[in-house]
Amino acid sequence: MTPIHEPLSEEAAARLVHVAALTKSAVVIRGGGTRSLHATPEGTDVLSARGLNGIVAYNPAEMTMTARAGTPLETVEAALAEKRQMLAFEPNDLRAALGTSGIPTIGGVFATNASGPRRFVAGAARDSLLGVRFVNGRGEVVKAGGRVMKNVTGLDLAKLLAGSHGSLALLTEVTFRLLPVPETAATIVVSNLNDAEAAAAMATAMSMSVEVSGAAHLPESVRGRFVGGALPDGAATVLRLEGLAASVAVRAEKLGAAMARFGAVSQIEAETTRRLWREIRDAAPYADGTPRPLWRVSVAPIAGQQLVAALRLETGVDAFYDWQGGLVWLRMESDPEAALLRRYIKAVGGGHTTLLRARPEVLAATETVQPQSDAVAALSARVKASFDPNALFVSRMVG
Amino acid sequence: MQTNFTAEQLADPHVATSEKILRKCVHCGFCTATCPTYVTLGNELDSPRGRIYLIKDMLENGRPADAEVVTHIDRCLSCLACTTTCPSGVDYMHLIDHARMHIEETYRRPFWNRLTRNVLAAVLPYPGRFRLALKAAALGRPFAGLLKRFKPLEPFGAMLDLAPRRLPKPSDSAKPGTHPAAGPRRGRVAILSGCAQPVLKPEINAATIRLLTRLGVEVVAPEGEVCCGSLVHHMGREAQALEAARRNVDVWLDEIERGGLDAIIITASGCGTTIKDYGFMLRLDLAYAGKAARVSALAKDVTEYLATLDLPQQEARGLTVAYHSACSMQHGQKITLAPKTLLKKAGFVVRDPAEGHLCCGSAGTYNILQPEISGKLKARKVKNIEATKPDLIATGNIGCITQIATGTQIPILHTVELLDWAYGGTKPAVLS
Amino acid sequence: MDQIGFLEPRPAVLSRRREIVADLLDLLPEGCLVHQPRELVPFETDAFVSYRRLPLAVALPETTQQVAAVLKYCNRYGVPVVPRGAGTSLSGGAIPQEDAVVIGLSKMSRILEVDYANRTATVQAGVTNLNISDAVSADGYFYAPDPSSQLACTIGGNIGMNSGGAHCLKYGVTTNNLLGVKLVLVDGTIVDLGGKALDAGGLDLLGVVCGGEGQLGIVTEAIVRLIAKPEGARPVLFGFDNSEEAGACVTDIIGAGIIPVAIEFMDKPAIGICEAFAGAGYPMDVEALLIVEVEGSEAEMDAMLASIIEIAHRHGVKVVKESQSATEAALIWKGRKSAFGATGRIADYICMDGTVPLGQLSHVLRGTAEIVAKYGLRVANVFHAGDGNMHPLILFNANDPEDAARAEAAGNDILKLCVDAGGCLTGEHGVGIEKRDLMRHQYTDIDLAQQMAVRAAFDPQWLLNPSKVFPLEGRPAA
Repeated sequence: MTPIHEPLSEEAAARLVHVAALTKSAVVIRGGGTRSLHATPEGTDVLSARGLNGIVAYNPAEMTMTARAGTPLETVEAALAEKRQMLAFEPNDLRAALGTSGIPTIGGVFATNASGPRRFVAGAARDSLLGVRFVNGRGEVVKAGGRVMKNVTGLDLAKLLAGSHGSLALLTEVTFRLLPVPETAATIVVSNLNDAEAAAAMATAMSMSVEVSGAAHLPESVRGRFVGGALPDGAATVLRLEGLAASVAVRAEKLGAAMARFGAVSQIEAETTRRLWREIRDAAPYADGTPRPLWRVSVAPIAGQQLVAALRLETGVDAFYDWQGGLVWLRMESDPEAALLRRYIKAVGGGHTTLLRARPEVLAATETVQPQSDAVAALSARVKASFDPNALFVSRMVG
Repeated sequence: MQTNFTAEQLADPHVATSEKILRKCVHCGFCTATCPTYVTLGNELDSPRGRIYLIKDMLENGRPADAEVVTHIDRCLSCLACTTTCPSGVDYMHLIDHARMHIEETYRRPFWNRLTRNVLAAVLPYPGRFRLALKAAALGRPFAGLLKRFKPLEPFGAMLDLAPRRLPKPSDSAKPGTHPAAGPRRGRVAILSGCAQPVLKPEINAATIRLLTRLGVEVVAPEGEVCCGSLVHHMGREAQALEAARRNVDVWLDEIERGGLDAIIITASGCGTTIKDYGFMLRLDLAYAGKAARVSALAKDVTEYLATLDLPQQEARGLTVAYHSACSMQHGQKITLAPKTLLKKAGFVVRDPAEGHLCCGSAGTYNILQPEISGKLKARKVKNIEATKPDLIATGNIGCITQIATGTQIPILHTVELLDWAYGGTKPAVLS
Repeated sequence: MDQIGFLEPRPAVLSRRREIVADLLDLLPEGCLVHQPRELVPFETDAFVSYRRLPLAVALPETTQQVAAVLKYCNRYGVPVVPRGAGTSLSGGAIPQEDAVVIGLSKMSRILEVDYANRTATVQAGVTNLNISDAVSADGYFYAPDPSSQLACTIGGNIGMNSGGAHCLKYGVTTNNLLGVKLVLVDGTIVDLGGKALDAGGLDLLGVVCGGEGQLGIVTEAIVRLIAKPEGARPVLFGFDNSEEAGACVTDIIGAGIIPVAIEFMDKPAIGICEAFAGAGYPMDVEALLIVEVEGSEAEMDAMLASIIEIAHRHGVKVVKESQSATEAALIWKGRKSAFGATGRIADYICMDGTVPLGQLSHVLRGTAEIVAKYGLRVANVFHAGDGNMHPLILFNANDPEDAARAEAAGNDILKLCVDAGGCLTGEHGVGIEKRDLMRHQYTDIDLAQQMAVRAAFDPQWLLNPSKVFPLEGRPAA
């Protein structure tokens, strides 16, 4: 059994890391443990943030919240819902897709930069993160950023911590900005477009003054697995609108009219819209209880379908698109085909991919993230060393 | 901005004025963005802020001008885009004028540069000499390429390029005399005959006189008037410029005594900017300060005056005009809407080319003295104008007309020529 | 009062001045190196004119390769480098030092690619902020961050300072609109960070380079996000009898879940200054003015405005004035965006940039007035109220050294007040030289040590913009 340390305070966490630094013992930082299937390496302790629990400050009028890193995401979201506020970036819940259990934490959300459909217009988790407190690899408690919306005082370390997957430091507290929950939402569905047509339709939608807040394409192979099969037959290209009811109605009409030249247009009301985008966010079609390889690929929006089209000629893949095509959820039939995938990502202009799921032995043997250029890798290594000079914090999720 | 002048330095009224101007600059850098030379060269030394700093440093240290400072001051077009942009109200025009005087007083230019400038100052302001020079240019044109190969002689090559191939006949409009109003008289104005313009495009003033008299305005071309002095003023030759200014002030004041003047009409906005500045230029001359201020107050661009006459809306003519606002018009005199409103009323479709704030590179003698930068600006201007797909181009300054005409096939006219045509005059020759 | 110090020039560099200039002349094309002493003077400061230092030389490269060549050279010989965009920094970010080579990006001012399908523009670092929006405006797009100096400031400088602007309330600041950069590291290595794909993987180096104040490398190209222009936009003026009601109104608008595109605040002195320049029709008989801009369809703007007007009435709003035309709207913004420069008409000024939590606006406004009064100075307030980013302009006479010292001291007190109210020293202008020695008021030694360690990971010898951001004492040995 891997020893798990669950400090109950920031000071205790700092002491633990301090001791680890003295003994040069590696640790794996973990929040809810719901976002990664990687096994903890032999001889490594787990340092869990779960004991650092609780909302520290919530100022609805200022639209900011400060919470300890181990606070369950659902606690945060429940508190926000009471004041009709939300996290702009729609953090996803990967438990069903990965088959993990546990409770997602707010620290884990930021440490993995977990961002959902609204990310391509409203920014990622990193864009909402205003300030952090963390324990670095020297066992020091450091704060960076603050609690105000605009802050350029010193280096933006919060950005570095966001998405660092526990490779730099243990987040102990996060302060983030919030948005009001839109009064209502609706989804325009354009049916029966192939992937290339969908890319064109989504680009057109994004060029319009209608503030689309979600643009996804669900090919026929996955369409039936959303909202209990309630979407119209054929591939569904879905465009979300949010805001004041009167405004959404006007924009829906305008958008629907423009989309009619691409295909049959229908509209989904608020309740189903919320469910649909939650399922897109969580890659619901691939919550299939299998260990078939699941990749999350980020490329330029119009390159998404080019990538999939190229892959289809060589291997069995199933895919659907979010972020106007710039996020591809890709399920391979059998092998992860990492080399093939990377070659084609390069061919369509570059991007990034993460292998989220595969059989344990495959996962252990595959490089799960995109390799970087030598210069960037060397620089990243120096940056890591500036937080964690003894390389205590082990993570396989960053390059 | 902080300044460092001694009380002794400030006793010089020119320095005192410049100090006040410098104090207003907050060094925000907005001016760099709309400066044609900065946009072209990408060096802050060739921007208003850079030049202000160079001038400040030179004046504070009471230093004679040197080659570096002169290079960057010379590159300034005096387009005054910076003064339109400047939120702090820095009077860059009078600062750079002072710097040019200082250069003229304290710096000995290299031989060829001196020669070029002497030739320009001795020829351009005098229509007779200018006409002769242009005739000679026709003979010299084959040597333009040769001249341009030797850097110090490049300006002469540029002159030959700019000289028109055919010279119009001298027009009666340039001769002194009174042109009575047709019908009841509603006003009386003097018209500036000018120096280079009557030689290059006499039809501009002819059209102005026709239009104004038809509209009931008596137009006088007074005897004894000389070049407005703008040309030598921008070379820093202040004594020569002030002499011209005094002479014209006398001429116009005589005319006021004789029959009264509602305005002094100027059809070249470059001249207009200078004449409107006579009051400032002669402020230290006790005998002339008041008179010059009176003249400056009467000086009006022809479109500025026409805008007060409330011309009727004419039928659409089916012609699209790209309106090029001369720098002296939009930045120097801040006349931006009147010419376009008049053209629209006259029945033309008016287009504003992109980057309208940027100079065409003409700028007085700039296209001769700085042919390289001028050429780049001309190409950029022509590209922006042509992008509007116009049938013709209208502007209010002879310099721009000459400059732009050498870069495009689209006919370019003075605004007043189109207005004359639209309100009962003859169709401009280039359009027939 | 003590002047803010710069690092002592390195004698080994100063003594090699002539060779360095000769070598740089070899590395750069003709006309791309400024080195004559007289020509260096205009580069001695930026828009923070209180401090000035002559550089050793100014390189104006035309390509990324030339930037790399100069950096490689300077790194090899231990020559400090100060990057410069348009030199519009209000915190002295581009002020050089005697032993430094300035690398100016002003000749690299081309828009390289506009990609509407992916909604990106790829530009050289010397392109001005406004040039980007101008280039795509006819096609219905814009680049969102809009610092007041957007006419002149460069995208490279915006990245260096993570610049904000009035419309950031809705669209975020530079870091939220930046997808990638081409960065030249201090040793001359050229790297690409980010790109058109949203997730780059690995550590978010782009996130720390943005706002790195030129200490982490020199950005030569950027990929920025374009946004489709809204259907319509309408700035509305709200005049109040006192600043505190105006401040409280802002807090209530945001608290009600309404996020306009911009909420700008001006007090009476600022209104007078801006009106004198722009003639925008600001009401002159009020003590405080809010410019609230809403956007979207007519229906949407009407609905949002109705709620805002209702809130404003609860705070005793005296004047509500909607812009009636595009020209009028443009004038309203022209006046606001020229506020700092226009202040030059009446006095010298230094501009503060502290940000405070919204609930503290009124408290800090009051405190600012008290501090300035204590020093016997005047203040004009004009700022981005919606995100609590305050810009008190402290007015003084630069030709009076005592007055200047008082202004600086008042500024320091105001910034400390902002930090003590839960805010920060700078919201969008950057630390630069101006706020460097106040950093310890906001951060502990450990906090700063961590930031400096990251800085050193990029620039081990501390050659890039070395006198800025971090207090000179307590730096790690280079």
